Amino acid sequence: MRSASNRVRRARPSLGTFVEITARGDSEAKLHGAIDHAFDAVARVDRQMSFHHPASDISKINREAFQRKVTVDPWTWRVLRAAQKLSHESDGIFDITVARKLMQWNYLPRRYRNVSEGNWRDIVLEKNCTVRFRQRVIVDLGGIAKGFAVDRAVKALKCAGVASGVVNAGGDLRVFGLKSELVHLRHPVEPMRPAGAIKLRERALATSGIYFAQKRRGRAVVSSLLDGRTCRCSSRKVISVSVAASDCMIADALTKIVFVLREKSIPLLARYHADALLLERDGAPLWKFHSPCDTCDPTRFD
Amino acid sequence: MTQIPRWILPAAITVTVPLPSYAEQYLTVSAAQKLCFPECDQFAPVHVKFTPAQIKAIEAKSGQKQLLRGQEIWRAMQNGKLHGFFIVDYVIGKHLVIDYAVALSPEGTVKQIEILNYRESYGGEIRNPDWRKQFIGKGPRSRFALNEGINNISGATLSCRHVTEGVHRILATYEVCLK
Repeated sequence: MRSASNRVRRARPSLGTFVEITARGDSEAKLHGAIDHAFDAVARVDRQMSFHHPASDISKINREAFQRKVTVDPWTWRVLRAAQKLSHESDGIFDITVARKLMQWNYLPRRYRNVSEGNWRDIVLEKNCTVRFRQRVIVDLGGIAKGFAVDRAVKALKCAGVASGVVNAGGDLRVFGLKSELVHLRHPVEPMRPAGAIKLRERALATSGIYFAQKRRGRAVVSSLLDGRTCRCSSRKVISVSVAASDCMIADALTKIVFVLREKSIPLLARYHADALLLERDGAPLWKFHSPCDTCDPTRFD
Repeated sequence: MTQIPRWILPAAITVTVPLPSYAEQYLTVSAAQKLCFPECDQFAPVHVKFTPAQIKAIEAKSGQKQLLRGQEIWRAMQNGKLHGFFIVDYVIGKHLVIDYAVALSPEGTVKQIEILNYRESYGGEIRNPDWRKQFIGKGPRSRFALNEGINNISGATLSCRHVTEGVHRILATYEVCLK
């Protein structure tokens, strides 16, 4: 068998950011075909899970799921179910109903009125991909859907016979195949200075930071990263959290939990065999965690 | 099987080389044309130079400022039959300069958007009009791949809002100049 000699890298605007797909394999034409399929998967996630598109599943349930059961795309239902599981496991720190607060703070467009003060427990997922709300809550999958899109794109590439590659949706990425990839982390304050690099193989990495996203609201500084239990913003000292896990959806969602819980997130990280790295304002690592794993290489810190 | 990542953190952050910009060339114009219209055998350039009236009309229709004096447009043809339009455009954000291509159907609906070149910069040169001017209306080029060692970046999400706005401007350009 010939080795994967060609590399194709393409990018499209999607999910509110730039989605970049790198694929390695024999035939360039085949790689382009596979990348087209992967972008189709990303586009489906964007179409169904966007808070902004009026025709998306998320807009539909935000408008109607309080009054009646709404049937959604099986992918949307799966992401909602995963979000519910993480809300349960984090005791409500991860909560997709924080959309209400994000809307108040203008991180999301103010498209809904009369939103009640509910939480994730007011979302009921029923069989045949139906959803209903017990309260007039609104949801946003911004903290998890990007990771899911990356996972679906990787699956599409693998199904199309791509040997190895990377899918990177605005910083949430997944590396697959035998080749390892070096991923640079943005410095929390100077975005174009790397604060370090991580070697990944068959693994996803997601980073949540408050670098571009902080806003001043009266005397308080707010960001889109908040604790679902209190609707308050997490510690201002930690400014960037990276989580590595086997799938990107989990890594994406875990960053939000680690932002709040820090060291207390160890049991949850261990359950998902995930690793975490917290960076301070000056780019220095504040805290690192590695899941115990028998099959892994020893981890090196420099 | 999962694999633990190696966090390779420099011992002293202060000695790391600052990166003024990150650049990537994804596709050449001709490669993007073939991807957007694989069935087509001819791409006939119909580049337009805007009249002041057209600029006004595009700005009114799109709600966007039209900074370009013209637009690079190709008619995608198969055996002489029009299959759509291939349009190259540029957007400049706070930290970004992007060349991208939009494929339109003959009726003016968006078929595909591909990023051709992507440059991210925090070094201040992006605010320099002379530096920016070199990107306007000259077609994609590759000499800006400054940092070949950096292939993947993880960090806070950069918005693609400027491209979305650019596509609205392209649709207005279609209405004004191509319909």
